[in-house]
Amino acid sequence: MFTKKQKRVNWILVVILLVLSIFFLFPVIWMLANSFKPDAAITADMNSIAAFIPPAPDGSFFDNYISIITNTSFLRYMGNTLLYAAILIVLSVIINGLAGYALAKIKFPFRDQWLLIIMMLLIVPTETVITIHFLIIAKAGLLNTVVGYILPMIVNPFNIFLFRQVFVSLPDDVYEAAQLDFCGPVKYFFTMVIPMSKTVVATVSVFTFLNVWNDYLWPSLVFTSSDLLTAQIGLNSITSNENTTMGQTLAVITLVTIPVIIIYSLFSKQIVEGVTSTGSKEG
Amino acid sequence: MSYIEFKNVCKKYPGSDKNTVENLNLNIEEKEFIAFVGPSGCGKSTTLRMMAGFEEITGGELYIGGKKMNDVAPRDRGIAMVFQNYALYPHMTVEKNIGYGLKNMKMPADKIKEKVDWAIKLLGLEEYRYRKPKNLSGGQRQRVALGRAIVKNQKVFLMDEPLSNLDAKLRVSMRTEISKLHRQLGATTIYVTHDQVEAMTMADRIVIMKDGVVQQVGRPMELYDHPVNQFVAGFIGSPQMNFFDVTVENGIVKFQDGNTLKLSEGTLKKLGGRQGEMIMGIRGEDLKMDEQNLELRKENKQSAVITDTEVMGNENNLYFEFGGTQAVARVSKYEISQIGDKIEFVFMPSKIHFFDKETGVNYTEAE
Amino acid sequence: MKKKNSIMGMAFFGPALVLMVIFLFLPMVLTFIFSFTDYFALNPGLTHFVGLENYFEIFQDELFLKSFLNTVKFVIIIVPLQCGGALLLALAINKAAHCKKYFKVAFFIPVVMSLAVVSTLWMQIYSPEGILNTLLEHLGISAQPFIYSSKQALPSIAIMSAWQGMGYQMIIFLGGLQNINPALYEAAEMDHASAWQKFKDITLPELKPLCVFVFITVTIGAFRMLVQPMVMTGGGPDHSTYTMVYDIYETGTVNWEMGLASTMAVVFTVFVVILTIIQNVLTKGKEERKLVHKKAKAR
Repeated sequence: MFTKKQKRVNWILVVILLVLSIFFLFPVIWMLANSFKPDAAITADMNSIAAFIPPAPDGSFFDNYISIITNTSFLRYMGNTLLYAAILIVLSVIINGLAGYALAKIKFPFRDQWLLIIMMLLIVPTETVITIHFLIIAKAGLLNTVVGYILPMIVNPFNIFLFRQVFVSLPDDVYEAAQLDFCGPVKYFFTMVIPMSKTVVATVSVFTFLNVWNDYLWPSLVFTSSDLLTAQIGLNSITSNENTTMGQTLAVITLVTIPVIIIYSLFSKQIVEGVTSTGSKEG
Repeated sequence: MSYIEFKNVCKKYPGSDKNTVENLNLNIEEKEFIAFVGPSGCGKSTTLRMMAGFEEITGGELYIGGKKMNDVAPRDRGIAMVFQNYALYPHMTVEKNIGYGLKNMKMPADKIKEKVDWAIKLLGLEEYRYRKPKNLSGGQRQRVALGRAIVKNQKVFLMDEPLSNLDAKLRVSMRTEISKLHRQLGATTIYVTHDQVEAMTMADRIVIMKDGVVQQVGRPMELYDHPVNQFVAGFIGSPQMNFFDVTVENGIVKFQDGNTLKLSEGTLKKLGGRQGEMIMGIRGEDLKMDEQNLELRKENKQSAVITDTEVMGNENNLYFEFGGTQAVARVSKYEISQIGDKIEFVFMPSKIHFFDKETGVNYTEAE
Repeated sequence: MKKKNSIMGMAFFGPALVLMVIFLFLPMVLTFIFSFTDYFALNPGLTHFVGLENYFEIFQDELFLKSFLNTVKFVIIIVPLQCGGALLLALAINKAAHCKKYFKVAFFIPVVMSLAVVSTLWMQIYSPEGILNTLLEHLGISAQPFIYSSKQALPSIAIMSAWQGMGYQMIIFLGGLQNINPALYEAAEMDHASAWQKFKDITLPELKPLCVFVFITVTIGAFRMLVQPMVMTGGGPDHSTYTMVYDIYETGTVNWEMGLASTMAVVFTVFVVILTIIQNVLTKGKEERKLVHKKAKAR
């Protein structure tokens, strides 16, 4: 297939990309390597290649991590965020999924108009309504509560749209067969539609997780009690503390990053699919 | 009262100005095997889906077991259905697929297992019990779909082109299997197909439809031998019946190419004195070219030159130009002819049909 | 049957609809209404209707104008950097003989990291005695103030943001490249096209709709930038990293001047909507092209 010249070009590209990827990842490598060092070592190593190499594992290897875990509530913040993410994944799959199914398969009045409205909602920048969310949640007396944090985050026009696009191509005869098997519409949704659409459910779940885990603005407004903080807000309050060392800062941000890297390595297929679908929707 | 009754049933889709199904009147007896057949778009699938309750009946009434069904939900109509694309639940195993309806009927687990075991054994699916649909061949999926229908003990089976996705060989064997199943279970079966061979080989009675209107209802041989119009005559049977544009005058048929045929007393009587332009129809096997027939009807002997042959093995189809059109004769494998051969043949007088040129009505079958 | 469908439809669509009304439609309507008032959230009783006054005010407000200019500056720096970088990476990875999977993962990693993490990390990297200045020193370049100077802060944040976001668009471009019908290249090969001609006459035209999409989404994303300066510079030094959304956010939730904040939000939304409309106009012809493409594939 390839000529010799093309082959050589392709190999040169590999080498260039390899070098480039190392440069590209240097902040991440540096973060990881230095999160195991005391500040003195970080500064001392700065001048040499040692800046990108973790120290030899000895008794003080995990000191930064241990001091973070024992001296701050950071593990608790991570646990909070995991819990919020779990609740939001379940709620967004159910509520956006039900809506997507209705828009795809049920001929209810004004269905096409609703679909159009939802597509238009995709344009609206959410940052501009976040202050109003805050007002509404405050008026409802839900500030600094989990419910108040979760409510505005459930519905997501993009997820509804994504579900709708997938459900539209589900075969109608399976629904008819299920009807003759005494399966009602609600049961059908939960026992048939969801299992038949594992990919989109996984995609929406993964993006919901990343969204909750990485969100900064909304939790910083809603939560004031340190008991309920999410990891990102906790991270900020810890790192902006004068007494936190550079090594501890790096340890904290490494800790926050570990779950997303795990999720990403487990579900990279769904993530790539979700990303590409935003492109193919418009492009 | 018959088991299933259609009374002036109509279907009109919103936005369409014509009825997709027009004034359907039909009685189906218990345990009958009825095939709906017709070209695509004739309304046969719509009729089936109205029976199932997936399409609204926009006019008339449908009764099953004496109960009016127009507004009854599909699940409460006492029917089971086999779908064209099987419609298996993709994430469930064969066993779960078959037992799903029973589970929803709240049948106890041991009872479900008993029924599922019975169906799996009956359909020869033992090996595939724990497989999912995507790991099954077309024929196996078809069996699972059948299994899902039969375990529920419903009185009526609806089948929507169930064999159309199978290859030719499998289709033949599934045909006999479905017939066997029908004899064993004795459920009233409504079978929709576009394939007249399936209808002919399986059904007790055939309903043949065109443009939403029922053309004829009858036993397979009735439709074959006594079609009420040119459409039925042409649709049933393969190769298709020969049709010739002819003029009938004074008991003589004049073909477009000048050939003539003197009609027998019997045929003339059936024609009832009708004269003028009409369509003459005769099936390929009723063109005789054996010595005995040629001798017997030598005054009406015709001749033609073979332009094409189809060798089927057990019999041969010979094509030739006659009467201004291409005609076909079905002959036994012992009457070998080749392209370019001249043949002589006679029409079997009792098998000749005459159709109205405009309406297609069969004069020879009219009372 | 119809009635059943409306009941079922509303049962399925209803929960989402209720939440949408409360958290999307209502806020939009309220924002619009507030923009004509002097609504002060700490003392709502004193609210007056002020007509278009807010709209005149914000366009005379030096800080808002500055934040607007900053945002535009940020957009001008980041868009070519992020789009161009993503496109080049995608083209190179698509052609690379090996390690495709590794490259896709490596360049995507910053995308999954949170803005707060990335910002905190780069604060360390950009610090006066930080790793970046040390590296520059080795190259014979004197230490730079980066985020601590009003001149360099915005470009520094832009470079960091491009680094963080690039992988996303790279994946989109890779998807587009894989969707190009290989028969086109084979046909070009038969027509003796050079590598450059193939790129110019096939790859670029086929990717054009995607390029427009990426360009606009990156632009819109850049307009919405907020968390990075919030974490790294607090909008400083000297308001040099103060963006439009930052201004809306502070006016609304720090100063509690909801009327003014709403006006800014309306102006901002109009801006974003205009950009989206431009995108739709620019990519309008592409549906037809897609059809032709599909037909070509079918053949």
